[in-house]
Amino acid sequence: MVEILAYALASALFLGNLYAARPAGARLARAVLALGVLAHFVDIGIRCVALQNPVSSTPQAVALVAFLVAAGYLLASFKYRLTAAGAFAVPSSLTLLVLARVVPAEPGAPRMGALGRTHVFLATLGVAVFALAAILALLYLVQEKRLKKKRFDRTTTADAPLAVLDRLALRCVSVGFPIFTVALVTGAIWIARLGGISSTEAQRPEYLFAVAAWIAFGVLIVARIGAGWQGRRAAWLTLGGFGGTLFVLLAYVLRYAA
Amino acid sequence: MPGGIDFLVMGLSHRTAPLAVRERLAVAPEQVPTVIQQFGTLASVREVALLSTCNRVEVYAATPDPDAAIAALQMDFAARAGTTEAELAPHLYVRVDVEAVHHLFRVASSLDSLMVGEPQILGQVKQAHDTALAALAVGPVLGACFSGAFRVARRIRRETEIARSSVSISSVAIEYAKRIFDGFVGRTVLLIGAGKMADLAARALGGQGARIVVTNRTAARAEELAARVGGTTCPFETLEAALIQADIVIASTGARMPILTRELISSVRRKRRGRPLFLIDIAVPRDVEAGCGDIAGVFVADIDDLQKLANEHREGRRGEADRAEVMVEQEVARFLEAYRGRRVGPVITALRSHVLDVARGEAERVVRDLPGLGEREQQALLGLAESIAKKILHAPQVALKKGGADPIEGAAMIAAVQRLFELKVNDGSAGSFAERELPEDSSRAGAAAVAGSSDVEDVSGDRQKVAKS
Repeated sequence: MVEILAYALASALFLGNLYAARPAGARLARAVLALGVLAHFVDIGIRCVALQNPVSSTPQAVALVAFLVAAGYLLASFKYRLTAAGAFAVPSSLTLLVLARVVPAEPGAPRMGALGRTHVFLATLGVAVFALAAILALLYLVQEKRLKKKRFDRTTTADAPLAVLDRLALRCVSVGFPIFTVALVTGAIWIARLGGISSTEAQRPEYLFAVAAWIAFGVLIVARIGAGWQGRRAAWLTLGGFGGTLFVLLAYVLRYAA
Repeated sequence: MPGGIDFLVMGLSHRTAPLAVRERLAVAPEQVPTVIQQFGTLASVREVALLSTCNRVEVYAATPDPDAAIAALQMDFAARAGTTEAELAPHLYVRVDVEAVHHLFRVASSLDSLMVGEPQILGQVKQAHDTALAALAVGPVLGACFSGAFRVARRIRRETEIARSSVSISSVAIEYAKRIFDGFVGRTVLLIGAGKMADLAARALGGQGARIVVTNRTAARAEELAARVGGTTCPFETLEAALIQADIVIASTGARMPILTRELISSVRRKRRGRPLFLIDIAVPRDVEAGCGDIAGVFVADIDDLQKLANEHREGRRGEADRAEVMVEQEVARFLEAYRGRRVGPVITALRSHVLDVARGEAERVVRDLPGLGEREQQALLGLAESIAKKILHAPQVALKKGGADPIEGAAMIAAVQRLFELKVNDGSAGSFAERELPEDSSRAGAAAVAGSSDVEDVSGDRQKVAKS
């Protein structure tokens, strides 16, 4: 509960900081967020002991994504000026965490086994890293638009330059892509072991979206590293890829929630 | 103004016209004398000066018929801008007489600048004055008004903090670049043209590790600038290749048409593979075609953008500007008083010499007609005539000195005296400037008459400064 309250307060502070940017406000927001991340970490530990580890059910996995996004943002914000990014990252974490707490765990979760746990863990990690990339891409697009319009206030200057946002997003995608690739492979093997893909299951849209997202990120990495793609188009492709993975995650969450 | 010659200003500035309109009327420095000559041929324009900067295009003129002069200038402006008078009208402002003096004083003092307090404008006003002077277009009216403006500007610079903590265009451009790029080490800065600000910005960027490349239509000028800022040159013909390499471009050419067209930038962008490109356009007319800023990864900042950003960066300057405005008001009042006093002076002199001449002439005639008079009687008679004349002159002289400074009553009095006594007052403002022989002297005499003889040296001192810079 503490983590939800802390995330909510930090969200409000980061959002408020967009309107009246002040160094003191940004510091306070970060301190509150740090408290939330710590509380969330303790909460995950307690749940592990209570046999509710992050890969035991979809809601726990979603909570892990929320934790990773918040913690990842917090760590990055120590190294780079990313105050405005907090207004995207922290509310995202909050939303995911609330979702995880509200949605019930799926009844009779399938027997996981080591392979299943590996798949869920890697998929969760991949989604979290892509989420960070998407936040950076979104921030890139917003800041680019503001710069083009010559909106030049403290909010604009509270963040790292466009080149840094672009580079960090690329780094996130480069880390997330192999993780996500292994997650896809393990997932496919896992399903095959469970008895193969029945004709109806193969048509589940989330599989399609997972593959589409994987292709989007693959194209992005090739274009960026091979052809030196940068900027707006790369940012849109990152958002598109993340949208795909988010859909997969939400499909799992909502299937059993409904 | 009394005496029938009016001072007027007509023009447009950043307050009334967007850059797109201003650049169509901007006059290159080497063209200014020609344009002044053209203005001189307009009927009813006696004296004229042209101020063309990146923020404003203004004509200052002395005329006996303001309405006719304004109409003629409006037509001329529309023709220059290649548009109709109706289309240009919303951007133009006209000020006459006191208002025009007030306007010139504010402009010269940098109170009407986009970046209030920026130091360049005074030099530009001086340059406008000197160019007009060299073209024999400055007479007593403009000479007086401009020298008054220089004095106000100097006073404001001396007595207020308005010029301090002014944020320069180049520093704002660098600030902007820092929002895009992660430092300048290894970045390439391409300078096109050789503007003064390009020089400053290039040095600053070079100091932070950027590589400077200079290109110019004239290779020699490129070499010269490259040597100054510590960069290399590339031929103007290879501009496209240079643009593909560059990260930041500073354009400051005097070209009439955009050099960096949308088409060129689009084709360059593809070959740059999305690397961001920052185009800093400090030329008027602009060097970067409108619409380049819409291209993905291309950022454009023109002179208006940079000045607006600079203004946002400065705080707490309002109070100083307000103080300066008060000084302008004071100086305008002082100036008008002196100016009108000067208009009364010649009338009084003419009246005195007219009456005294009559009295002396009549007395001398009587002396000639009465040969029997001795030396003492002759002197007594001449003295009598002169003292009667002086007694009679005393009251009107005092009245003129007192009432002559009043804008309405004074003008009426001067006109009445001139008509009643059929006085011809030579104030040097008759005839167009083309007919005048020694504009330098007449201008200085005009300036001196207003500002007092102590300021004459001051004025020539300013001229030397401009010549040096």
